[in-house]
Amino acid sequence: MSEWEKFLPQPTEDSEPYWDYAGKGELRMQKCKSCGHVRFPPSVICPRCWSQEYEWVKLSGRGQVWSWVIFHQAFYPGYAADVPYNTAIIQLEEGPSLHTNIIGCRNEEIYIGMPVEVVFEKVTDEVTLPKFRPAKGG
Amino acid sequence: MTNLKDRCAIVGVGLTKFGKIFDKSPIGFTLEGIKRAVDDAGLTRDEVDGLLVAMPAMMGEEHAWAARIGALLELPLTFSATMDAGGATPVVMVQTAALAIEAGMCRTVVCAYGHSENPQGAAFAIPNLEFTMPYADIGATPLQAHIARRHMHDYGTTSAQLGQVAVAFRHNACLNPDAQMYSKGPITLEQHQASRFIVEPLHLLDCCVQTCGGGAVVVTSAERAKDLKHPPALISGLGQSHSAEVIMPWPEKQDHRGGVPAGKMCFAMAGMKPADMDVIQIYDGFTILVLTELEGYGFCPKGESGRFVEDGKLKVGGALPCCTAGGLLSEGHLMGMGHLVEGVRQIRGDCGTRQVKDAELCFVTGYGGAPHTYPAVLCYATLILRRP
Repeated sequence: MSEWEKFLPQPTEDSEPYWDYAGKGELRMQKCKSCGHVRFPPSVICPRCWSQEYEWVKLSGRGQVWSWVIFHQAFYPGYAADVPYNTAIIQLEEGPSLHTNIIGCRNEEIYIGMPVEVVFEKVTDEVTLPKFRPAKGG
Repeated sequence: MTNLKDRCAIVGVGLTKFGKIFDKSPIGFTLEGIKRAVDDAGLTRDEVDGLLVAMPAMMGEEHAWAARIGALLELPLTFSATMDAGGATPVVMVQTAALAIEAGMCRTVVCAYGHSENPQGAAFAIPNLEFTMPYADIGATPLQAHIARRHMHDYGTTSAQLGQVAVAFRHNACLNPDAQMYSKGPITLEQHQASRFIVEPLHLLDCCVQTCGGGAVVVTSAERAKDLKHPPALISGLGQSHSAEVIMPWPEKQDHRGGVPAGKMCFAMAGMKPADMDVIQIYDGFTILVLTELEGYGFCPKGESGRFVEDGKLKVGGALPCCTAGGLLSEGHLMGMGHLVEGVRQIRGDCGTRQVKDAELCFVTGYGGAPHTYPAVLCYATLILRRP
């Protein structure tokens, strides 16, 4: 696609590192230095223990499909050419979940519990989106 | 501890003409809804000293929205706020009104709503969608589609069972000449199954309609309610809970999800149980939402809602008449204001051919929040209305 007419993330001060790491091909999330909870979305405070001390740890990028749906309608013109497209919620090995698209397989091949791994899709010079594909050998 | 049971009542209700009509602004629909509700109560403007108004879809910098509405009606307010709990807002406004009246800040509160745009269209202006929008997971529909997918996976619920909700509510709408889908006539399960997918596994007929319109209800003390125009709908129970769901930041708070605390609080206050209800108005943005609410509020065990609704019990004339005016699915999407108004009309016995015989107790719910943000926050609000 030559022109990216889709929504791009607009990072906040709190989420900017997540997207910067994605640009470097790394899936990183905040790990609480006090209780060890790995959290998503990014936040200045641990939702579990309220500690404000954290580090951005690199995740395995592996997880399982928790749910998936197929859009048969484009709610925005930029996605009309993609219909039918999938969105999925991935449960990561380290605990957090996130929304994504599953690429590298047909929609009909997706199932709950499907092992997947992260892949980085550069959509503009500035923005890279973490997406997921069926895990190799998994 | 003070118990709010039967301390306040809804004494006036009003809906504007609603549907695919584009002749008024959100303020315009709100003003007309208020006028109708206050007229219905038999009150005058000078007796309205409280006003709550639902936040408009495109809030922006619309500060003091509710107070502006009040000024346009020359209301002598001592209590006013713009409220937002998504589709739970109308029920939350009634609860807040009861609290303010009981606390002595005001005597009579109008709770109002008006809308004149496609709610989904507003999504593009909402900030903090950076983790869903780039993947084109847009709006409330995919959230409910994900929930439906999991319900099907975990409990064996089928699309046809979801369809039973759509068929029942359309049946009810066909008894309500004001309903948006009244003129379309009834639907069959086959038509539900054949309707196109919007976000699979949800079909078109699993999704609510889109509506321009407004409405309001008037809340006052049970004492003041005694000598007004209509018999009051006493507020016998209320409950509220808020939780983060679907993307699971709260694995250790499972029992706080699904509106369970909102249901327990409401039934405990009233000293009643779900089986006591004669009629229910369940917030129904999507068919799957009705199933999950029936479970969360204890009308059936968790996971069994699909089988529970299969016999058509949600139709007027069925064992558990639900959304008797047609609901968001077939009456119109008035963000739940229609559910409140219908609940009161059932309690009054004003519902004509769709009247549930001897309806004395009605359970009303609201549901909403910020489905496309992270975390996905959901608000649940409940009421029990009772005929004195």
